[in-house]
Amino acid sequence: MAAVASCGSGAGSTGSAVATASKSNVTSFQRRGPRASGTNDSGPRLVSIAGTRPSVRNGQLLVSTGLPALDQLLGGGLAIGTVLLIEEDKYNIYSPLLFKCFLAEGIVNGHTLLVASAKEDPANILQELPAPLLDDNSKKEFDEDVYNHKTPESNIKMKIAWRYQLLPKMEIGPVSSRFGHYYDASKRIPQELIEASNWHGFFLPEKISSTLKVEPCSLTPGYIKLLQFIQNIISEEGFDGSNPQKKQRNVLRIGIQNLGSPLWGDDICCAENGSNSHSLTKFLYVLRGLLRTSLSACIITMPTHLIQNKAIIARVTNLSDIVIGLESFIGSERETNPLYKDYHGLIHIRQIPRLNNLICDESDVKDLAFKLKRKLFTIED
Amino acid sequence: GRELGMLDSLLSLGGLVLLWDSVEWEGRSLLKALVKKSALCGEQVHILGCEVSEEEFREGFDSDINNRLVYHDFFRDPLNWSKTEEALPGGPLGALRAICKRTDPGPVTIALDSLSWLLLHLPCTTLCQALHAVSHQDSCPGDSSPVGKVSVLGLLHEELHGPGPVGALSSLAQTEVTLGGTKGQASAHILCRRPRQRPTDQTQWFSILPDFSLDLQEGPSVESQPCSDPHIPPVDPTTHLTFNLHLSKKEREARDSLILPFQFSSEKQQALLRPRPGQATSHIFYEPDAYDDLDQEDPDDDLDI
Repeated sequence: MAAVASCGSGAGSTGSAVATASKSNVTSFQRRGPRASGTNDSGPRLVSIAGTRPSVRNGQLLVSTGLPALDQLLGGGLAIGTVLLIEEDKYNIYSPLLFKCFLAEGIVNGHTLLVASAKEDPANILQELPAPLLDDNSKKEFDEDVYNHKTPESNIKMKIAWRYQLLPKMEIGPVSSRFGHYYDASKRIPQELIEASNWHGFFLPEKISSTLKVEPCSLTPGYIKLLQFIQNIISEEGFDGSNPQKKQRNVLRIGIQNLGSPLWGDDICCAENGSNSHSLTKFLYVLRGLLRTSLSACIITMPTHLIQNKAIIARVTNLSDIVIGLESFIGSERETNPLYKDYHGLIHIRQIPRLNNLICDESDVKDLAFKLKRKLFTIED
Repeated sequence: GRELGMLDSLLSLGGLVLLWDSVEWEGRSLLKALVKKSALCGEQVHILGCEVSEEEFREGFDSDINNRLVYHDFFRDPLNWSKTEEALPGGPLGALRAICKRTDPGPVTIALDSLSWLLLHLPCTTLCQALHAVSHQDSCPGDSSPVGKVSVLGLLHEELHGPGPVGALSSLAQTEVTLGGTKGQASAHILCRRPRQRPTDQTQWFSILPDFSLDLQEGPSVESQPCSDPHIPPVDPTTHLTFNLHLSKKEREARDSLILPFQFSSEKQQALLRPRPGQATSHIFYEPDAYDDLDQEDPDDDLDI
């Protein structure tokens, strides 16, 4: 299985053709002689990065989003070089949880993190990451959760369609520790894991002085600074292959919180036809260019319910690769609807990318709801 | 007791508190009542007065409260044309930042009268960033200077603003109080957003006494409500169907005792294992066709047995 997976899509192509194989099945067949594609590294040919695996469908290199149920919906995981956009729910309760699971997955796998926020200090965000459930504990937690979950009605075994009882439900059991972990939302990640990880933070109020003059430019100054910061990190640490990394290649996980809110200096939430209505779309375009040429994956949360101009939402959706909307039931009439009484909200998958494919990888189930159990965040249909 | 509820503890939560008033139910008296309460608690109180004059704001307060209020006047000379030394540089936002940079510890309450005025005169994003910086000053752990909790009370007139700024400010606020009422009795609908928790809301009936103290009351219909309307019963999808979805008891028993054809029960097992009377073996009846070859030889001649 020594397959060369190219992680590019569309016009961009990655600067490195990385041969990937999951650590568990390295074959004994090795290619002899120089490879036809020609790579930068002269070391061993089979280079694998922790926490990634190639997609079984199109060979893209995937990283886990931190929630195995979400990975399954996205066709295995988040492809490197792509942007995952999460449309926040109204009171911003559940989208930070997805954001933090993504970052926690990066820490557990040893990836480099870049956290950008205008609202909270990135150091505080990292302190609040959920703790991972490791293999030996997770099976116990799962069993006790499943046991508590059984209601009297579900104990009635199916009489006619008894074959269907053997089918697995949508939630998958604990996975191996290589790809995708479960997180306990009530516990915090241990401090030594944070200190052992390599992370960069971008907190907007520190980077921008309040008396900065705003030049008439198409991008708001906050976005310009963030793009420069991301670009510096990518080129300094060699994620784009420009600086040959002597140690193991690694993946950069970028997390941007509340993009588009007024705290970033962008007024798309305040006015319908603001002065900088193209700022966000240009930012996303440049960001995607940076991502496509480096080994990084990005998660962005955006309060789209506040954006006044619907055309901007459509443009933002087109410029991102995967778009997931969260709609919580708080405050809406669905809270009392008996259909939804077990769940906390709905998940809408608005867009899935077609990377090196003609069709995209849709899951069969489109009617998905999520619930935040005491410890776990689960997605069911 | 518990009836005091959330209106009394508004300021103790800290952060940004928005008071939404309207033409029918004005909010400045509630703002002054909350200012008086925090002054009586010994907190530092700063007022940014933009909409009414200082005399009008201070009217109704007795002198010890008036002595505790620190008033920044932006009403008399909003554009600083008189260029006196008292005027703070940077306008209202400069004054806010100067209050942030204070060095003495202790809780501070800043009342913005009114935030609508600021929203109309300043760009919304700058105002949001300044408000966020002011109201979140105390939330960094491990800070060397023990700065006290900051509460920012902003008076907003909801008819003046479109949905954009309203949504933007609501997402920043920790608490939102919307004034309303019926039949001459004022009520405050309080929505409290704590981070990472569900928002809680409560309606509190109150009235303001002439000396601006707050009198909490049991209103005509006191509710601490979830957002459901009690007049609409929960939706039952099985009503009004043309077919019958329910089983009577006898029907249910009959259904349960039915043995399904592919179900392997012990009776069936016994029946299969017991040899059937009258049939020792099973027979196959075969009638040869006209074209059948009954020859036992291999037609292909390739078996070597």
